[in-house]
Amino acid sequence: MKTGFKTAFYFKLALNNIRKNYRFFVPRILTGAGLLGCFYIVFTLAMDERLAQVRGGTYIPTIMGLGTYVMALLSFILMLYTNSFLMKQRKREFGMYNVLGMEKRHVGRVILHEMMIGGFISVALGLVFGILFYKLSSLLICRLLGVDVILGFYFIRLKTLIPPAIFFILLDTLTYLFNRISIARLKPVELINSSHTGEREPKVKWLILVVGIITLSAGYYIALTTKSPLEALYLFFFAVILVIAGTYCLFVSGSIFILKLLKKNERFYYNKNHMTAVSGLLYRMKQNAVGLASIAILATGVLVMISTTVSLYSGMQQTLDQNYPYHLYISAGYEDKEGNVVQIPRELLAQIVEEAAREYGVGIRSVEMQRYLQVAYMYEKGAFTSTVPRVFDLNFGNVANVTFITRDEYENLTGAKLELDKGEIAVCAISTKFGDRGITNGFLTIDGKTYRVAMTLKSFPVQDRMSTTVNCYGIIVSDNETLDEIYESQKEAYDVRASEYINQLAVLYADTQKACDAGQAMHDTIWRKLFAAYRDQEENIGSWRIDFDSLWDAREYIYGMYGTLLFLGILLGFVCMFATVLIIYYKQISEGYEDRNRYQIMQKIGMGPDEVRKSIQRQILMVFFLPLVVAGVHTAFAFPILEKLLHILLLSSTWLFVGCSIIVYVVFAVVYVLIYAGTAKVYYQIVR
Amino acid sequence: MELLKVIGIKKTYTTRFGGNQVQALKGVTFTVEAGEFIAIMGESGSGKTTLLNILAALDKPTAGQVILEGRELSGIKDKELAAFRRNNLGFVFQEFNLLDTFSIRDNILLPLVLGGKSVAEMKKRLIPVVQSLGIEGILDKFPYEVSGGEKQRTAVARALITNPKLILADEPTGALDSHSSDELLRTFARINESGQTILMVTHSVNAASSARRVLFIRDGVIFHQIYRGDATREQFYQKISDTLTMLRTGGERK
Ligand SMILES: Nc1ncnc2c1ncn2[C@@H]1O[C@H](COP(=O)(O)OP(=O)(O)OP(=O)(O)O)[C@@H](O)[C@H]1O
Ligand SMILES: [Mg+2]
Repeated sequence: MKTGFKTAFYFKLALNNIRKNYRFFVPRILTGAGLLGCFYIVFTLAMDERLAQVRGGTYIPTIMGLGTYVMALLSFILMLYTNSFLMKQRKREFGMYNVLGMEKRHVGRVILHEMMIGGFISVALGLVFGILFYKLSSLLICRLLGVDVILGFYFIRLKTLIPPAIFFILLDTLTYLFNRISIARLKPVELINSSHTGEREPKVKWLILVVGIITLSAGYYIALTTKSPLEALYLFFFAVILVIAGTYCLFVSGSIFILKLLKKNERFYYNKNHMTAVSGLLYRMKQNAVGLASIAILATGVLVMISTTVSLYSGMQQTLDQNYPYHLYISAGYEDKEGNVVQIPRELLAQIVEEAAREYGVGIRSVEMQRYLQVAYMYEKGAFTSTVPRVFDLNFGNVANVTFITRDEYENLTGAKLELDKGEIAVCAISTKFGDRGITNGFLTIDGKTYRVAMTLKSFPVQDRMSTTVNCYGIIVSDNETLDEIYESQKEAYDVRASEYINQLAVLYADTQKACDAGQAMHDTIWRKLFAAYRDQEENIGSWRIDFDSLWDAREYIYGMYGTLLFLGILLGFVCMFATVLIIYYKQISEGYEDRNRYQIMQKIGMGPDEVRKSIQRQILMVFFLPLVVAGVHTAFAFPILEKLLHILLLSSTWLFVGCSIIVYVVFAVVYVLIYAGTAKVYYQIVR
Repeated sequence: MELLKVIGIKKTYTTRFGGNQVQALKGVTFTVEAGEFIAIMGESGSGKTTLLNILAALDKPTAGQVILEGRELSGIKDKELAAFRRNNLGFVFQEFNLLDTFSIRDNILLPLVLGGKSVAEMKKRLIPVVQSLGIEGILDKFPYEVSGGEKQRTAVARALITNPKLILADEPTGALDSHSSDELLRTFARINESGQTILMVTHSVNAASSARRVLFIRDGVIFHQIYRGDATREQFYQKISDTLTMLRTGGERK
């Protein structure tokens, strides 16, 4: 009886508190709901077996599984963050309770009830939100993968419903425990008297300033000077760390340094438009530098994440076109019982491919037989050397992929004549974007042996697939003996990782779409026919060595991969953007409460309402747009290194990436301005 | 010369949940000559702060007129009001109302900055004011680093620096100990002697006794007033406390 009454009492009090502090509670509840919804979506996508079975869907479980962890981390950080604001704001209130005779454990119970009410609402709302948007998300991801939407009844499963709910209940419990501890540490008298008087004007921390300048410049330097994708791959992370460190340091000390400088300039400072803003910011920066730096970094993250995934996705077709000048590459052979590799005659292979094409009604434009050797070298000053690159060798820019064919092969493939004497070669720079490049003088050394470059060619008949990360050269040698020499010397250096001769058939179908539609079935037919042709020699064959590389496989891979990445990028971008908004919102309103007093005083001594509004706007503008500007600058500096990284993921169009980045930035800025307008209004209401 | 004329000021507060009306001022009329030093006394809730806020144009009367140097306050547009207050009135508040993010110097200069004065002009005005108040040594300190008395002198300096026609003070000694109070009152008397008009609301007989005239407010009207004339401060003190006793015991107007 009595406990029931008590519970009702606490419940009522908690409800009342939530209502009273709605400016803090409502966003927090919505945050919880939004995060849970997104978490649920990512988690369910990872668990959805039907999605994993659609074409290109094989990447969904892995990528979304990864996304689940990222979401968990983000949720953890954001839930604790919003809570810390809430608690800071309410310390005074709790101190008051204490003075009014409520024991700490009673205050704890009030909080527990608040937490249960808020938590219940946000978990329920989050699940509803997640379920509603899951359907939409799975439709979207199917669209992105370029597959027809799977029809059928979508039902809610406990298997994907319960873990997210439990995770968020745990997060709430955790924040509750945190709050309990911080209340236990509370000294009520101190709290009630604690206004923010006695706060010293911040001093410039020179060491941090210097460290910030150094780390930021170093990060930018790396981003700007990285020459090749491989280099980018392992320097990127390092550069990111440097830039993050630099951002924090400069926000903390650089901002104060600049403001102090402004303050020293009397003509600037003693101006009604500057004075309150400068001195206000000076204090604000002391408390908020870290928050603002976080916003800048989050914003950069959003920009990078969305612009890279969007450009990858929208550059897919171009990537495929560039990397698949032919639709299908086949090389087939087998290892006989003695371990010798026997190549299937290219004529036979060609015949089988043509038969299969005819069966599926797909026309063939050309079939070419190519024999070549492809070796990775280190390139330096006119010499290709086969050495295993060490991880800390900074000259990744000098790794080069060289494709060798003989003069006969060249004439065969192109029909053109080529005069080459022994010891002479012809060179084509197929794609040379990175590091040391260009073969200048008339000689070229390959593994110590020097050849005379008889001519340089504009194009090369054998196209290397999927190698956008390093420089690519094509070299034509005079005869098979020279080719064998080159083969042997790299074999010696690389041992088991050495390259083998490639004998392949490159097929260009008449109609890309038709070929891709027939794709998998045609693929199977080719195998069937090949095995059938060798049925009578089965006892000789140890194992088949077959390499089948087709546009349709690559398309499935790329659509699946990039589509899934894009989805995750957008979702996480959304969450990060949301996080940015939230941080700004909370900052703004908690500062509004602090600034209120100051503006009231200023109004008393003769500051008009217009001036107050202007002064507020100026301050908010600075606080708001500094991170946006910084994020833009970071993204701009990150651009060169990101572009190199995208080469690894096969994107090769710089302009596409530039375009996507700019569009994403503009969209982001617009959203940001809207948020600004909204929070500025709330802030103004509080201050006035 | 008549500086301020207050005619039939009424103020009715309507409480938030409708209905209940509080009539804080029921028709206050008085005039202030240039160079006067007036104290307004009255019991708590008698409407002193309300009156002062109306004189300061921080609040609008329900009825009546306030005329400063022939200009009616209610005729001033909202937009110009802030500038008007800045140029004509100086304020000293019980709780100092200094900005803790500004140094003492910047606090004093703030009204001039808001008024768009040049840096040279600010410096020229600052020095005599802070010297006369004896705070030239603490200009670079921050409000939390100085004593209550120094804070209040800073507030006085801030009020004086615009050369206002009228200084309005609401219980300026309320938060000070007796020593600092006396110092502040001496300062007020001194600046008044040099021609500054002051209107001060106070509870303290001691504070009121440093004025030249005391107005007593009760139930929203000016109930009584006494002049110091040639009396010494001690005599005036006695007179004021006698009047207060009489008022409290419900005596009729003389
Ligand atoms: N904003 C307001 N809304 C409603 N009533 C008010 C408001 N401000 C003051 N009052 C009422 O008007 C009356 C006069 O208040 P005022 O603050 O002027 O008194 P005071 O003389 O300054 O008192 P004290 O000496 O305690 O400061 C009081 O009854 C008060 O309750
Ligand atoms: Mg009062």
